[in-house]
Amino acid sequence: MSAKKILVADDESHILHVVSLKLRNAGFEVVTAADGQEALELAISERPDLLITDYHMPQLSGLELCRKLKQDPITAKIPTIMLTARGYDLDLKDTQDSGILRMLSKPFSPRALLTTVNEVLLEAAA
Amino acid sequence: MGVPAAVLDNLAARFRSCGLFVVLLHTDGSVAYHDPQAALFFQRYVLPLLQYGDPTEPELRAKLLKVTATSPVTVWNNFPGVILATAPCVQRRQLCGVLALAGRAGVFNHAEEILRVCSRLGLDGAWLHQQAEELAAYGEEDIQRQARLMLGTFKDQLSLGSLEGEMNSLSGHLADAYEELSLVYQISSGMRINRPAHDFFKQACLEALEVMGVQGMGVALHGENIHHQEPVLYGPLSLPPDSVHRLAEQLIPVLCRHKGPLLINDLANDKEFNWLAKHVRQLMAVPLQREEVILGCLFTLGKISGDFDSQDSKLLNSIGNESAIYLENAMLFDDAHGLMMGLLHSLTSAVDAKDAYTCGHSERVAVLARQLALEAGMSEAFAERVYMTGLLHDVGKIGVPEFVLQKTGRLTPEEFEQMKKHPEIGARILSDIKQISDVIPGVLHHHERYGGQGYPYGLVGEDIPLMGRIICLADSFDAMTSNRTYRKAMPLEVAMTEIRRCSGTQFDPGLTEAFLRIAADKFRELLADHSTRARQLMDSQPSLRCA
Repeated sequence: MSAKKILVADDESHILHVVSLKLRNAGFEVVTAADGQEALELAISERPDLLITDYHMPQLSGLELCRKLKQDPITAKIPTIMLTARGYDLDLKDTQDSGILRMLSKPFSPRALLTTVNEVLLEAAA
Repeated sequence: MGVPAAVLDNLAARFRSCGLFVVLLHTDGSVAYHDPQAALFFQRYVLPLLQYGDPTEPELRAKLLKVTATSPVTVWNNFPGVILATAPCVQRRQLCGVLALAGRAGVFNHAEEILRVCSRLGLDGAWLHQQAEELAAYGEEDIQRQARLMLGTFKDQLSLGSLEGEMNSLSGHLADAYEELSLVYQISSGMRINRPAHDFFKQACLEALEVMGVQGMGVALHGENIHHQEPVLYGPLSLPPDSVHRLAEQLIPVLCRHKGPLLINDLANDKEFNWLAKHVRQLMAVPLQREEVILGCLFTLGKISGDFDSQDSKLLNSIGNESAIYLENAMLFDDAHGLMMGLLHSLTSAVDAKDAYTCGHSERVAVLARQLALEAGMSEAFAERVYMTGLLHDVGKIGVPEFVLQKTGRLTPEEFEQMKKHPEIGARILSDIKQISDVIPGVLHHHERYGGQGYPYGLVGEDIPLMGRIICLADSFDAMTSNRTYRKAMPLEVAMTEIRRCSGTQFDPGLTEAFLRIAADKFRELLADHSTRARQLMDSQPSLRCA
């Protein structure tokens, strides 16, 4: 089985580095995007198995990105983990039809993120 | 010190597209790297020449290897059919070999010599010629220029590679820092003051165990306080319980002396803790300390990979500091809470002491009312406030003359007026204690009736505060089932019937339902249990005994 591909979108490069390192070390293939628009394009061209996205991003916010992905049948089924600044948790009802399965507050534990990724991939496979 | 393979692969790929061949020779002459995808001309003909030299010119290869870190780019046209440029391969100011760039010579002559080398290498001369024809030809100046370019590219690639390495290592450290930050955050958000200590420490230890990558993490508390617990160890490491005790007893005095983290990476060679070496290799411990007073310690055993380092001890120290703050606060909270509850009980005893017949009444009402609140679906926290209200509901009787309280016959209208003042007197007595302002409505309104016939305000239905309605039920039930100055106790079943009859007129119908749901047996148990405890308390403290 080939490695699962994960798209990580965040405008803060240190988050991209930390998350990519953790995921690559765990055997995932990682594609990164520095804003919402780039993430949208990569989601269509790369067809990732999972999306990890920040909420606050230039061009296109994480939530707008998820909504756009949901509208396109090619990307509608990509399960998503959203990263938010602590204290800015989204209202769950806003995320209901956006494909967001989990939310993690920054600063998150990279270990917990990896566990969440594995859980979400298992759920998506089921 | 090897040059990273990725750097060489990258370099080789760039020059391959120009028909050039990249080789790295060790200074001892062996080939450290060559472009694995190079054209056959290079693989079969040039590589062996570089590897073994040209037997007709044995000096050539030796000269080629005589480079220093500062040698310039040198061009060699003495290999038949080949043009070669060499440059020192320098990494971090250390010479680590000779970088060679080979191309097909501009004039593919020296036919005889080429054939001679071919026959020695077992190659067909015509075939080699054909292979060579497919490659671009290079002159001396061209190859020199390309070699300089190669050197520049090599340096850039090296620094990119080392930047990438640094970036990965920084990201790794950052990931660790995130991990620690989120651990400390988790622990501090678990620092609710009324949380039992064992619960707090269990969570802290289990989370730290994962983040620190250790086999065991434990806590030992020191000194007498209500949070005192046996030393515990969490994690996959199993130590006999008496070893955990022994460790805890030994650690406290050591940490008192040490005044800081204790870090032992080689237990076998430690004078004090070598007995642990048969279980585990490393030990680290920090005191839980507030203002010089040691409240206990946190300890961790067995780092899963490597040894404990300063980062581990810093992290354990932060967890220790946070835990000590929690512990100190929890102790202060318990002190304050204990003091307040003690004072409230004294106040209640003062009332009960005035009226022998109602001895224990306040405590019983408190217990019943708490049970009722829980049965009616209210929160634990609210039920605790209800309990407190029950304790205090009759405090106002302090202001009612004793002869009225203790009168055996019927009260005259004037006496009854005096009696009716006790809810308001109680509310006034308690009004200065702002921490219990929420119990005052219960005290003030526990004689209101659901139908509006009660006192002091004659409130109706839901206008009567919930606390008041709850206390009213518990108070009436206890009054019916206890002996009073003016009548004997009612049997339990009769009291239950009476309660049901008065639902809606005297009592809140919803609460009455809940009250009747609690089986009569349960009340009996509850009361029996309470009166045993009350009796024990009285026996141990004669001053509390009712007259």
